[in-house]
Amino acid sequence: MGLDRRSFISLVAGGVTGSLFTPVIWKTLDDVSIWTQNWSWIPRLNYGEELKVPALCKLGSDAYGITVKTVAGRPVVAEGNPDHPLSLGGICPLGAASVHLLYSPSRVKNPKLKDGSSFKDITWDEAEELLVGKIKEAGASVAMISGDETGSVTDVLSGLVGKAGSDKSFLMPGESAPAVAALAMLGGDGKVGYDIENANYVLMLGADALGSWGNVARNGKAFSASREKGVKFVYVGPAQNGTSAVADSWIPCLPGTEPVLALGLAAVIADKGRDRSFWPGFAAFAKFVQTSYPLDKVAEITGVPAATIAGLALELMRAGRPLVLTAAVAGQGLGAFELAAGMSLNMLLGQINTVGGVRILPWAPKVVEAAADTKTLLASDLVAYLSAVADGGAEAPALLMVYGANPAYALPNLAKVQAAMDKAGFVVSFSSFMDETAAMADLIMPDSYAFERLDDAYSPYGSGQPNYTVAAAVIKPVFDTRPTGDVLLAVAAKAELDLGFESFEDVVKAKAEALGADFDELVGGAAWISEEFPVQDLALWQTPLQELVAPISDGKSLALAPALQLKIGSAKIAIPPFNTNAIRFNEMLGTDMYVLINAATAKNLGLKKDDVVKLASAGGECKARVRIFEGVMNDTVVAPMGFGHTAWDAFSRGKGDNVYKLLAADTEAQTGLSRFATARVTVTKA
Amino acid sequence: MQAKEFKVKWGMLVDLDKCTGCGACTVACRAENNLPPEADASNKLRTTDWMNIYELSNEKPFPDHEVAYLPRPCMQCGHPSCSTVCPVVATLKDEEGGIVSQVYPRCIGCRYCMAACPYHARYFNWFDPIWPEGMEKVLTPYASARPRGVVEKCTFCHHRFMAAKEQARMNGEDPTQLAEDAYIPACAEICPTGAIKFGDLNNPEHEVSKLAASKYAFRLLEKLGTDPQVYYYSKREWVRKLGDNYLKNAKGGEHV
Repeated sequence: MGLDRRSFISLVAGGVTGSLFTPVIWKTLDDVSIWTQNWSWIPRLNYGEELKVPALCKLGSDAYGITVKTVAGRPVVAEGNPDHPLSLGGICPLGAASVHLLYSPSRVKNPKLKDGSSFKDITWDEAEELLVGKIKEAGASVAMISGDETGSVTDVLSGLVGKAGSDKSFLMPGESAPAVAALAMLGGDGKVGYDIENANYVLMLGADALGSWGNVARNGKAFSASREKGVKFVYVGPAQNGTSAVADSWIPCLPGTEPVLALGLAAVIADKGRDRSFWPGFAAFAKFVQTSYPLDKVAEITGVPAATIAGLALELMRAGRPLVLTAAVAGQGLGAFELAAGMSLNMLLGQINTVGGVRILPWAPKVVEAAADTKTLLASDLVAYLSAVADGGAEAPALLMVYGANPAYALPNLAKVQAAMDKAGFVVSFSSFMDETAAMADLIMPDSYAFERLDDAYSPYGSGQPNYTVAAAVIKPVFDTRPTGDVLLAVAAKAELDLGFESFEDVVKAKAEALGADFDELVGGAAWISEEFPVQDLALWQTPLQELVAPISDGKSLALAPALQLKIGSAKIAIPPFNTNAIRFNEMLGTDMYVLINAATAKNLGLKKDDVVKLASAGGECKARVRIFEGVMNDTVVAPMGFGHTAWDAFSRGKGDNVYKLLAADTEAQTGLSRFATARVTVTKA
Repeated sequence: MQAKEFKVKWGMLVDLDKCTGCGACTVACRAENNLPPEADASNKLRTTDWMNIYELSNEKPFPDHEVAYLPRPCMQCGHPSCSTVCPVVATLKDEEGGIVSQVYPRCIGCRYCMAACPYHARYFNWFDPIWPEGMEKVLTPYASARPRGVVEKCTFCHHRFMAAKEQARMNGEDPTQLAEDAYIPACAEICPTGAIKFGDLNNPEHEVSKLAASKYAFRLLEKLGTDPQVYYYSKREWVRKLGDNYLKNAKGGEHV
C-alpha cells in the first residue's frame, strides 16, 4: 500500500494542527528569543538594599547638594537633593551624569610619573616622597592653581604654598572674582549673592541663569516658582539660548556690551527716578552716566534700540524688587568695571543688601593659617601670571601644583598658558581624570573622585544666603587614588611645613566649628544656612569712574559669542560618557561642531549651511561647520565651549574644537583682572 | 481594535514655557534605565534616546526669531500604533495605568513598531550595549540591559510605578489610588525648572489632569487619533501650532 497524495496532505495537516495543541512549539519559540538575547557579554543586574546618600556636585562652577542612590553600597544614579538650598530637588546635566564618571575611562587609576612622552605607574609612597623632595628643592618658588573656589582642599593647597613662602596661589577665572572686585568699587566687602527667589523682576544682562550661570539648579527652581507669581524674566544677550527660550523676552545685545547697556539704563533711571541726590557719590555718578552714556550712544554700542532701553528702564523703576544679573555669556571673562556697571544699576534701584536684591555674604572663616584667604585668591589673576611667565616677565615656578582645574584647556591666551606650564620646573596634577593638564604634568597624584572622599563647599557664587555643605564619601575609592586634602597634609608634614592639621577631616571640622555648624549634621546631609548678612555702607563708586572698553567693529570680522552648555561639560570636566546623546544633531556633525550665524550674516560672508569654516582671532584658530540660526544677532557668531579636547577619552577627545583658543585676555589696569569675555573673529571657508 | 479603558491613566505634561533644553532629563533617563553610553552619538539614526529633546523654531528671521525646546518621551498612546503591528506581542497596552509595555525577550527586532510610531519614540539597538570597563557596576537594578537586535522605548519609569504600588501595599494603602507624588519618573523628578509634571490624567485632583484641560495644553499629532498620554503646554501660539505641523519642511533624515 502506497501513500497517496490525499493521505500525505492529511498527515502533514494533521501533524501541524496537532503540534499547535502542544506547548512545545511555543516554548521553543519563547526559548529561542530568550536564548538569542542571553549573551555572556550583556551585563546582569545586581540587586541589594537601596539607600539615598547626600553628596556634593562641583562639576560645573556651582557647588550644590545632590543625593546619590546606592544599591548594596554601589552608587547607581544621582538626583537632586530637595532639602539642599541650592538644589531644591533639581540637578544639572553634569550632576545627572556624575555617578558614571566614577568609572570614566579617563580616570587616573594610580599615581603616574612622566617617562619620556608617556607615564609610568608608581606607588603612592614614591609619589609622596618625590613631591616632598620637589617642595624642599623649590623653596619659595612654588605656585598653585585651584579650580575649586568653595572647598577647603584649596585652603590646604594654598596653605602649603604659603608656608613654603610663596604668594602664588591662584584660582581659575570665574564670575566671582570680578563680582567681588565690583562690590569693592562700591565700598562693599564680601562674597556676592543674588536673592532671585524674592525678586519680582529679573533682568539677566548676559547671565545665562537657567543654563550655566550661578546656582543653576536653584535658579531653575526659583524661576519655576516665580512663574506662578507673575515675575518677569528678561534675557539680554547676543544670541538665544535655553534661558532666552523661556524668558518673557529676549533683547539682542552685542556680545560683551551688556555692561554698557547697564550704564545706559542707569543714565535713564538717574535722570527720571526718585531723588537720590543725598546718596554718597550719586551726583558724580549721575553726571558721568548721563554725559558718557546718552541713549543714542548706548543704542549704537549695544545694538539695542533706544526705545527698548527706555522701556526697560521704566519697567525696572516700576518693579518693586527688580534684580539685575550681569555676566558674560560664557560664565567668565568680564572685567570688574563691567560687573560694577550692573552692580551700580542694582544700587540705583535700591536693591543691594535687601530682600530680592544683591546679597553681600560674609567670607568663609579662615582655618588654615598659612593659606591665602578667598578675597586675596580672587584678587590674584591667574591668566596675567601665566602670561607673564610665558613672556619672561615673571619667574617660572620650580613647582606648580594644579588641583580641580584644567588650565591647559580652559584658559584664554591658551598658547601662552601652555608655554608657561612647559616652563614650570615640575608640574603636579591632582586630577581624578586624564585631562589636558594631567597629560602634560610631570607627576599625577590622582585625587579620589567626588563620591569617594570628604568634601565641602562654602557659599558658591550667587548663593542668596551664606551656606555650607559637607559631603562624606559615598563609596571607598574604586581605584588606587587618595583624597588630595589628606595627601597634601601628609606631604606638608614630611616636608616640615606644618599646616596645623593631621587630616582633612579636621580641617572641615574646624571650618564647621568656626561657622557654628554641627559637623555630624552637615555630613548627614543638612546644609548649614545663615541669615546673617554684613551691613555695609556703599557709595556709588569709590573708584574713579571711567568709560568701559567697548568692542570695536571693523566691518570685516564678527563678534564672537562663546556659549556654555553644561551638558557639553565645563571648565573642569569634558563631555561625560552619558552626555554625548544630549548633544543634538544640529550641534555636532560627526566630529565637527557647529557655530551659529544668522542668514543675513551668512549671506554677507558667502557661507551656507554645513560649510566647513575657520574661525580666526588674535589668539588662535578653530575649525567648525556653519549652522544658520536666526536667534543670533547680525555680524555675530556663537561658538560652543566644551569641545575640542585632546586628552580625556573617546567620549570627548577629538570632537569639535576648543573655543578658548580664540580668547585673548587683556588686563584691567585698576584691578589687575583679566578680561576675555569676547573677541573679534574672522570666519572664512576652510 | 477597541482600546482598553483604564481607571488610572498615567500622564505627563511638559510645560514648554519652562523647558530650557538643558538635557538633564535625557541624562537622568539614561542612567535610570541603563541605556549604554555611546561614544559617537552624532548619527541620530543609530542612537537610543528614550527622552529626546527637539529644538523648535518659529522660523522667522532675526530679530523675530523664537525658540522652544520639546522633550519627547514615549507618548504612551491611548490607541498605540506600535502594539497593533507587533507580530510577537512584545508591546502591549494592557495594564492598569495605561503604560505601553515593551517586553524585550519577546522582541524579534522586526522594527514594524518603529515604522508605525509617528513620534520616533522607539529605538532599535543596532549594537550590543557596551559599558566602559567597570561602569557596569553603576547599572541600576531597574531595567535589564538590552542586547543588540531589540527595540526599546520610554516606559514612564515603570519600575517606579511597581515600587510605588509595593510601597502602598506595605503601608496598607490602596495601590490603585496612589498619591500624586508617590510615582514620578526620573526625568520629572530631577528637572531643574520643574517643567515636567506627572500624575493620573483620570484624577481631577492631580495637577496634570487640571493642566491638560487648559486651552494652552496640546498633544503631538492629535489628528492621527493616537490619543497620547503626554501633553505639552505653552502659552505661545506658534509652539502649539507646531504640535500638528508634521509635514512642513520634513526631509529624509532631518527629523531625528
